[in-house]
Amino acid sequence: MSDPDGSPDPRQDKVAARDALRARGRTSLTTLAERVRPVSTSSSRVLPVPPFLADLLPEGGLRRGSTLVVDGPGPVGLACALLSDSSAAGSWCAMVGIEDPGAAAIHTLGLDLARTVFVPNPGPAWAEATAHLLDGIDLVVLRPPFPPRGSMARRLVARARERRSVLIVVPGGSRWPEPPDVRLTIQNPRWTGVASGEGYLRGRHVTVEATGRRSAARARTGTCWLPGAHGSLEAPTLSGMGPSGPTFHHLDSRTPVI
Amino acid sequence: MDRLLVVRCPELRDDDEGGATRRRFATVLDALGFYCPWVTPHELGLCSLPARGPARYFGGEEALVSLVTDVVSALTPVEVGIADGLFAATLAARGGLIVPAGETPEFLAPWPIAMLGDDDLADLLGRLGLHTLGAFARLPEADVLGRFGSDGIRGHQVARGARGDLLEMALRPSDTTRSPEAIQIGFWGGVSETDARATRALGQVQAELGAEAVLVARLQGGRGPADQARFVTWTDKEHTRTSAPVAPWPGHIPPPAPITVYATPRPVRLLDPDGQPVTVTRSGLLGTPPASLFDTTHPVLAWAGPWPVDERWWTRQRRRGVRIQVVVDVDAHLLVGGADGWAIEATYA
Repeated sequence: MSDPDGSPDPRQDKVAARDALRARGRTSLTTLAERVRPVSTSSSRVLPVPPFLADLLPEGGLRRGSTLVVDGPGPVGLACALLSDSSAAGSWCAMVGIEDPGAAAIHTLGLDLARTVFVPNPGPAWAEATAHLLDGIDLVVLRPPFPPRGSMARRLVARARERRSVLIVVPGGSRWPEPPDVRLTIQNPRWTGVASGEGYLRGRHVTVEATGRRSAARARTGTCWLPGAHGSLEAPTLSGMGPSGPTFHHLDSRTPVI
Repeated sequence: MDRLLVVRCPELRDDDEGGATRRRFATVLDALGFYCPWVTPHELGLCSLPARGPARYFGGEEALVSLVTDVVSALTPVEVGIADGLFAATLAARGGLIVPAGETPEFLAPWPIAMLGDDDLADLLGRLGLHTLGAFARLPEADVLGRFGSDGIRGHQVARGARGDLLEMALRPSDTTRSPEAIQIGFWGGVSETDARATRALGQVQAELGAEAVLVARLQGGRGPADQARFVTWTDKEHTRTSAPVAPWPGHIPPPAPITVYATPRPVRLLDPDGQPVTVTRSGLLGTPPASLFDTTHPVLAWAGPWPVDERWWTRQRRRGVRIQVVVDVDAHLLVGGADGWAIEATYA
């Protein structure tokens, strides 16, 4: 940045002063963010995830400042599973645009509901609301209620990077115009436990594929139960045959279910 | 249990070498004794008197509270409250409250278990996910006795409002905060900076979208997915509360729980192999098996049920209903059906 002193043009002065002010503002915000971050998580550049997901993610967790996209059929449960360990460790989570969230399922997936907030219907100001949340909340799940413009998406990605939060986008019907750091895609969902009027849902077997940029360029895949029989993400059992807990053939029609 | 009026003098709680605090407290007791002969001192700066007789004499509990407040506040700052039993009345005094007769259990419910003064018990219960007196009170007494012994039972009875004499407990925290929330903050060592940052961010979202746009979930018992949680507007007090443990509810739908629970069930067409609507018989069975959802291009790949629905909200509107689970395309749904047709109540992923 040029030194405004001695410049004959007052307009140039103003521009330089403004630039200096901006730079200072940015620095002080960053320092402030460093200072106010709690001890427990400030040291961790990467927020924890359950082991199954750690194996898929390039850095073994959610890198602060990164943006992820979670897509494929039934992505909300996977987004919640990504938050679970950090939430249990005290991080705040927000869910924007996830309409009609099932709180019991979200709780069972491991989120601390005391530090999880829902903005189910943000309306047209969804991007502004998300930006505010990224300022103070570690993990923000966003399903844009309207197709996001490129500039909006870029702004939010930049905000997450600047504030060292994690933005997890569930695009839903619309396309997220920015390439994410990591993309998790659910594939081959298979529900088990129900037949023709028998049993009850025991879980969903899925393949999760992780792709990304740079270190995450090579795709990694794994299979798990999401949800498993107990409602959480369950890594495959040794037999690989079914979710833990009683499997379907142990049940009979006498089991009181409702 | 006795209606008790508790007088708490925050500035006279700590003894001093010269005995000035004791002398000042003695003048408080003297002043009160002038109006009521049964004043009982419990600790420095804290005394009680039976409320029923004096309240009748002085024209009601409110009149009694304002009289006592006037008398004592001429000598020292004072907090006065009335409730059933000494424990609750002491807490009531902190907030200057009159807890109506019989409502002590509700009044006690939101306070932290640590108020009982038994740190070990509070710690143990906290690890079980129980943080409030109300949550503790809901444990069956037999379980408490088996797990925590007679001390646990004493605390449990106090938490339930069944006895009120665990005095030493309510006295210990010497702060002068006035609400359960505020006291909790003191207890858990202050609001963390993480919470403060989140609070600022959420405040900005509320300024942008309206307070009611930001919600938190509370779990509660219930059979249907919509009954298992309720959403309330987030406030900056909310983060000090913890959600109740998921109560096992007789007859609830087995896990996994659905990730999407529609606030209002969405009407939908459920068709049999002939493309006709699936009916529910009077005895709660399906007239024909389900074959497709929405229209015939979305076949039902698997289904389970029916299970009878007997929630109140349902019986208000319909005489008989059933639930079924269906797998359609890549999704699994919970449907409710009855004489008026079918609706999607929840979606599993």
